[in-house]
Amino acid sequence: MRDDPVRRQAAARVVLLPLLLLTVALLGGMRVAVDRSFVFLPPPLITLVMAALLYALFLRGRLIRLESWLGSRHGALVNVSHALTLGALFVASAQAFNSVLPEQGLLHWMFAFFFLWTLWNDQFSSFDPFRLLRSLGVLFGTAFVLKHMLLAGLYAPGGSWTRRLAGALFEGLSLGTLEVPAVAPATGYISFFTLALYVAGLALVAPTPDDHGEVRRMLREASQLPPGERRALLDALEEDQRAR
Amino acid sequence: MRYPLLHATGIALTLSYGAFVVWVYATQPRTFQDVAQGARVAAGAYKVDAGRFDTALSLFHRGQYRAAREEWERADPARADARTQFYIAYAFYREGWGRLYRDDALYGQGLQAVDRAIALTPAGSLLVADPDLKMRTAAELKAELEKGRERTWSDLNPLRVLEERK
Repeated sequence: MRDDPVRRQAAARVVLLPLLLLTVALLGGMRVAVDRSFVFLPPPLITLVMAALLYALFLRGRLIRLESWLGSRHGALVNVSHALTLGALFVASAQAFNSVLPEQGLLHWMFAFFFLWTLWNDQFSSFDPFRLLRSLGVLFGTAFVLKHMLLAGLYAPGGSWTRRLAGALFEGLSLGTLEVPAVAPATGYISFFTLALYVAGLALVAPTPDDHGEVRRMLREASQLPPGERRALLDALEEDQRAR
Repeated sequence: MRYPLLHATGIALTLSYGAFVVWVYATQPRTFQDVAQGARVAAGAYKVDAGRFDTALSLFHRGQYRAAREEWERADPARADARTQFYIAYAFYREGWGRLYRDDALYGQGLQAVDRAIALTPAGSLLVADPDLKMRTAAELKAELEKGRERTWSDLNPLRVLEERK
């Protein structure tokens, strides 16, 4: 069978990407309790608001050009396929937030406020897709470290007495409003895997679905050339075209 | 349009996987075993352990209601068989029945089991042909369990001691 890179890219976008995003949707709400049983938490309403704000950022930052994904220039089958991918991206975004958001108590609202504040501020700053991806990586990374390393460490069952003391002090200082549920360490690993998959999924999302990544990369490199070299490149391309 | 087959495959896989994700969140399986069991129920391949069911039935007929229930729970771990759930409810009824009192807690659990049995038979009422039982349908059993939990003046009627267990 002929190895066609364009076909491979289309397969990644049409088949792999939605499956990747749905896996994020599946694992984003998954927690492993201390008795090693699974708990699946559906996305709270606040994460849907965050996902909507993030979607607005995707559109503003041109990570997704909606008019290229959906529209009359595509057939019904393609439109349905693209709509499902975009829907999966929304659910995956909500679940990625769900994964790093504490489940209840004061910390849930503090984290939610921190996310909403960042997303709201980002609505008014200039973005390109790569800056947006970097910014999202930092946002999710910070929340992950705070929830799954710092807080989970403080509230881990059966920890050392200094850790238990620090946890009790933390709880006392917050007047008992933290309410951090004890979970098995596997929860942190699942969350890490989920976020990694989400970032990988975002990297696979193209501003336009028919866009070829290689062309984009070359264009980006060409745009960074000094004006003289860029002119020379254009001349060389024209000459090559004429020679054919 | 380019690659129609690819798009159709993508749509089919996305919809199936999406349905699986929704199913997981709706049913909340607690272990991988629960996931496999739930999948078997959804696919219609789930079967009650007949050996355990028969053992439980003989325990039930000998009046060992608690042991019978435990055996039935093992025979139908997914709680997906209407007949088994009916028998579990019946075992709760018989254990909770007393000439002078009815055990509300056991009757309550019996109601939950009979509700499961009814929910598992949407096509019609469940009928269990067992000569040892005086109530053969889930509806009768449910009514009896509900009646046992009600508080009325007739509870003070001394003639109630003459009532028979069904």
